[in-house]
Amino acid sequence: MEQLFNINLKKISSSKEEEADRQKNLNSFLETGLPNKKDENWKFTDLNQIIKGNFKNIINNHESSFDKKIQLIEDFEHNSIILVNGFYKSSDIKFEEKEKVKIEKFNLSEEIIEHPNNNLYCLNKALTIGGFKIEIKENYKCKKPIIIYNYFNSNLENKIINNSNKIKINKNSNLTLIEYNIDENSKFIKNTFENLELEDNSIFKSFTIQKTKSKGYFYKSILGSQGNNSSYHNFILSSGLKFNKVDIEMNLIREKSNCFILSGLGLGKNEHQEIKTQINHLAPNCRSYQKIKNVLEGDSNGVYQGKIFVKDIAQKTDAYQLSKALILNNKAEFNAKPELEIYADDVKCSHGSTSGSVDEDAIHYLMTRGIELKKAKKLLINGFLSEIFENIPEEKIKALLEKSIEEQIDGI
Amino acid sequence: MKKEEFNNHEYKYGFTTEIENFKAPKGLSEETIKFISKIKKEPPWMLEWRLKAFARLKALKEPNWQKPKYPKIDYQNLYYYSAPKSMKEKPKSLHEVDPKLIETYNKLGIPLNEQKRLSGVAVDAVFDSVSVATTFKGELDKKGIIFCPISEAIQKHPDLVKKYLGSVIPISDHYFATLNSAVFTDGSFVYIPPNTRCPMELSTYFRINASETGQFERTLIIADKGSYVSYLEGCTAPMRDENQLHAANVELVALDDAEIKYSTVQNWYPGDKDGVGGIYNFVTKRGACRGKNSKISWTQVETGSAITWKYPSCILQGDNSVGEFYSIAITNNFQKADTGTKMIHLGKNTKSKIISKGISAGKADNTYRGLVDIGSKALNSRNYTQCDSLLMGNKCGAHTIPYIKNKNSSSTVEHEATTSKINEDQLFYCNQRGLNQEEAVSLIVNGFCKEVLQQLPMEFAVEAQKLVSISLEGSVG
Repeated sequence: MEQLFNINLKKISSSKEEEADRQKNLNSFLETGLPNKKDENWKFTDLNQIIKGNFKNIINNHESSFDKKIQLIEDFEHNSIILVNGFYKSSDIKFEEKEKVKIEKFNLSEEIIEHPNNNLYCLNKALTIGGFKIEIKENYKCKKPIIIYNYFNSNLENKIINNSNKIKINKNSNLTLIEYNIDENSKFIKNTFENLELEDNSIFKSFTIQKTKSKGYFYKSILGSQGNNSSYHNFILSSGLKFNKVDIEMNLIREKSNCFILSGLGLGKNEHQEIKTQINHLAPNCRSYQKIKNVLEGDSNGVYQGKIFVKDIAQKTDAYQLSKALILNNKAEFNAKPELEIYADDVKCSHGSTSGSVDEDAIHYLMTRGIELKKAKKLLINGFLSEIFENIPEEKIKALLEKSIEEQIDGI
Repeated sequence: MKKEEFNNHEYKYGFTTEIENFKAPKGLSEETIKFISKIKKEPPWMLEWRLKAFARLKALKEPNWQKPKYPKIDYQNLYYYSAPKSMKEKPKSLHEVDPKLIETYNKLGIPLNEQKRLSGVAVDAVFDSVSVATTFKGELDKKGIIFCPISEAIQKHPDLVKKYLGSVIPISDHYFATLNSAVFTDGSFVYIPPNTRCPMELSTYFRINASETGQFERTLIIADKGSYVSYLEGCTAPMRDENQLHAANVELVALDDAEIKYSTVQNWYPGDKDGVGGIYNFVTKRGACRGKNSKISWTQVETGSAITWKYPSCILQGDNSVGEFYSIAITNNFQKADTGTKMIHLGKNTKSKIISKGISAGKADNTYRGLVDIGSKALNSRNYTQCDSLLMGNKCGAHTIPYIKNKNSSSTVEHEATTSKINEDQLFYCNQRGLNQEEAVSLIVNGFCKEVLQQLPMEFAVEAQKLVSISLEGSVG
């Protein structure tokens, strides 16, 4: 392990106590190291092997200089937060009432909820450089979406970034958040832990988009809780990363809350993406819906591990999981584990999982209508993936996502 | 009828038979293994094989990833060999069998004599650890079919046993399989010669009688090229307060164009309504479709046992081979089941189908756990999986844990699962037509299980349908 990490805690600590605390966490991380296949949560993704095979002598990043002009999305009006190499830089909420939307740098004295069996949590705690914190006050519906520009500069080769974020949406409030990752092609690791709190009647929509192909190795854990009649929508469209694992645990603690997780990913050569979810239905009348779609090219590896847990009192639960994969190459691999754990009887829980190739009949049909093979395939793949965001009411966001999907498919 | 009444008369196989037993000394040791081997008059290679397994066992740990947890088993406090005393000298025909034994079987509803005449089923009954008698020998002999206790096969057909024993479940496979390899006492051996269709259903009946014994039977079925065999297995055990261990190994080998159909109706003692006693049914069943166009089909109806923990699997090695798994698992009161299958696709154009129906009632826990693994060379393979769970009441649990791996682009894997309760409308409809709650539930559940029940051979289908109803009695209303 010593050779794999070469950590300097001094540069990121503000006091001796903090450094000692970080060292304690680092030691407990190094004791067990990175998770491997023996850990059920990493059954299909041997992180230890992936990192060891691609990195040596990993150092923690403490620099955030960025001198280039930041190119913002011009398709629609929005508020923005800018992070460079994981460091919070600035925010601009010109479209919102200032006292209703609170955005600031994540204060390191705050704690991220503990994940007892996740060793990456220890790593994050040891090396975190913060991140952002967003709070929407009661009874406020954000007028425009907030885009988080996540810039990563070219000095990140062989480095690790640890972020901690917090998002809180108070009663009767709304927020749409788009995380937009832009990097300059250096090979680095990002380990993020995020806490989410949705109060009664709130709506939170979150999108993750990757601008270009990246050599990034990303892990993100999202732990959240939902109040009465709240809605959570998470769209994961972060294709193009070398490695990506999104680990979501949502607790539906009050009645009538809704949780939607949708993902459409195109995976190219030597890429590995995993979506892991655990939706805990802890109150009656809640609904959860998950739809995960993967298109796999080259020797890519796609994984979906989903779990629906229904507590005995959570009657009238409606839970659904669907994972679909299109495998385009014999070297590609798709693994799924859609799991149900149910203790209440009056529920509607189902899951489906399919994996296979592009429908030959559909291709034949398109070709008889004069569309050449390559284009026919692309058309089908596009249809397969874009189903994910069919129901997004915001036209402009939808257009942005469509554009991003199209770029991905062109790369396939 | 009231719940209590049902519970009282529920387990009709709960009698014990007062037969003097001949036991090995208590405990798991090299001596016990040597004792078993000696009593079975085994050749030295067999003892060596057992000792190798025992040596391996010492290095293995009991697995603990399963959903149903159980108190630690004291392996030193078990008898590993128990045989009715009168069996020490093997009977030549049914007339020589202890009449009390025959009576037991009559109570169980498998009169060897009668069954012989009426249904044409050849039965190999295993009482604790020794095969009692095998019926219908003559007719099978004529066709060249070998159907005998495995202890006999070890002596008479050592080449076959040597070649296939442990070839599907290696001795170092996992803790319970290895334990079985070291101490297995008896079981059935079947060999179907090439291009032969076994003219009747072969059947074994297992029964645990003596207390503090584990039953470790070993079954090996080989279907040579172009042959077909259908094999039935039924299990019961008396009511006892302590938990008894049953760790069997079943190996199937199908060569080119051969087909094996293996059906189980498992009705071991499930423990009483407070969860005291019952059998731990930790069984390893695995079939290898070695040849081209071969087929292995598992059908199981699991209604008994305190804990059922087994995954009858198929290794689809031969091109175009087919694996099937049909299962009904019913758990009531404090019963726990963690069962499912593994379909490992290695050959081209291999197909597998999994239909699993889980029903939980009372405070029971029912888990389906399965693996579908399509290798990168298994081109054009297909799998279809359907697992449905039915819950009765909110004190029980139903879980589905499928592992799906697809490693090539020409194969298709489909998985579907649903969990629900009995439809109120259907119940209401049945009630309206004069069926009481119990009858209505039984009818609906039987309909829910129909896809699996249909796969059972006639003789078993009737019994299984009754079992499905009996197991759930008292769980509704």
